[in-house]
Amino acid sequence: MGTLYITQDDSYLGKTDERLTVRANKQTLLDVPLIKVDGVVVFGRSTVSPAVVIELLERNIALSFLTHTGRYLGRLEPELTKNIFVRAAQWKAIAPSEPALHLVRGFIRGKLKNYRNALLRGLREFPELSLQPALTRLEQAIAPIDTTHTIDSLRGLEGSGSAAYFGSFDALIRAEGFQFTHRNRRPPTDPVNALLSLGYALLRHDVQSAVNLVGFDPYLGYLHTQRYGRPSLALDLMEEFRPIVVDAVVLSAINRRVLSPENFETEPLSHAVSLTLEGLRSFLRLYEQKKQSKFKHPVLQTQCTYQEAFEIQARLLAKYLMGETEKYPPLVLK
Amino acid sequence: MDDYIPIAALNQYAYCPHRCWRMFCLGGFIDNQYTIEGTSLHDRVHTVGENQREEIWQIRAIWLKSDQYHLIGKADLIESGNGRWYPVEYKRGHVGEFENDALQVCAQALCLEAMTGKPVTLGYLYYAQSHQRQPVEISTELRQKTIAIIEKVRHLLETGDMPPAIYSSRCQGCSLYEQCLPKAADKVKRYREA
Ligand code: SF4
Repeated sequence: MGTLYITQDDSYLGKTDERLTVRANKQTLLDVPLIKVDGVVVFGRSTVSPAVVIELLERNIALSFLTHTGRYLGRLEPELTKNIFVRAAQWKAIAPSEPALHLVRGFIRGKLKNYRNALLRGLREFPELSLQPALTRLEQAIAPIDTTHTIDSLRGLEGSGSAAYFGSFDALIRAEGFQFTHRNRRPPTDPVNALLSLGYALLRHDVQSAVNLVGFDPYLGYLHTQRYGRPSLALDLMEEFRPIVVDAVVLSAINRRVLSPENFETEPLSHAVSLTLEGLRSFLRLYEQKKQSKFKHPVLQTQCTYQEAFEIQARLLAKYLMGETEKYPPLVLK
Repeated sequence: MDDYIPIAALNQYAYCPHRCWRMFCLGGFIDNQYTIEGTSLHDRVHTVGENQREEIWQIRAIWLKSDQYHLIGKADLIESGNGRWYPVEYKRGHVGEFENDALQVCAQALCLEAMTGKPVTLGYLYYAQSHQRQPVEISTELRQKTIAIIEKVRHLLETGDMPPAIYSSRCQGCSLYEQCLPKAADKVKRYREA
């Protein structure tokens, strides 16, 4: 099982028998059995045949559209599962409520602790780095989380923790030609930000699929408030995964020199930076490898892939909301 | 309530009430496919793939229904001989959860009685792997057990209240394990975030 990434502009997605084919310039680029596909992400322009649309919907396979620079546009969503019980519990917990507060704490704690662990890992590898001030600020943001009682103040803690982490992110970058000063997006104007934005867009496709599979209403979140057309719950659940999936892939792409500055191009005027087609393909390979790599899930104590962990966390979230577990355990990895 | 109870839900419930809830309350298993037009056995006997074998009538894949118990389900095979009708339920493997399977046969018998107006005292379980036909006596005891389970399932379907997921040896063979995560409550309790 895996996600199919379509990077070739003006390609055509068709279906022959039980197989999905991708063609461009009169050539078949890809021919895979549908049974092996669990998600499709299209970059830029592609024609998707009606037969493929029907097949994806029937097989519950989500199809997301990103611009060719990796900005998220939208998706073709299979019908939500009929899990009205999970959705009822989800709506019942709407803020202000103790469960909403508990969940927001979990999402933020998960994210900030994973930020902290990423910096600690950096420090173990390169003890000469001056990461201590950032680690201290992160600790100061983490410590009061469980005794903070409003979602707005929790957002404040998240903000200062993230600022501390991204303030030191540059130190984790160990390759010539790449720097990071601050997080920018829409459009990202340097390679590192371009990679982070792209990674988060890919993560969103995956986490939203997991949230839908479990039966949630993706548009009702707790940390991210409702705004028209925003899958708030998917964004909530993404938080804990940002550092351990996306940031880790970005750092290894750069530090292992899978990508070099030549893999990026800058648009005139807007200064938007994005990957070249070749760079994009390398990055997607790394991201997919990361998703399929295994680790021991600290809650369940069993081996799983990151891809499976998206669904496990969504199921644990449902179990908490349904009153089956006493807390929501964010995924925190050392 | 207009909704009929799928016979298949009975042995799921007997296996694990939480599993029954996942299958029949959560997933929309009970779809309109269960609303069938009035089934008269004697109308169907000549039209649905029947064949005559030593004066035994066989009808395959037939809908059974009981208005009294609000039951509905599809029988694999119904046979008739010596003026009596009886259900034969096919099972893929070997003799397994005999108790649960017997419930299903009994529920079919209750429907057959309603549809034929004649008492049904015997049914069969056919185990495909060992080609064994095991008689199931539709005893008073089995009837009572079945009716009690029907009541529980009816209550479950009406309220949608989730029976707790309780870990047992049955979980190991359960196809819903990954969705259910029956050990999660325990493991979440013991989890200490790094
Ligand atoms: S895993 Fe166990 S508790 Fe869960 S549905 Fe299956 S049998 Fe029931």
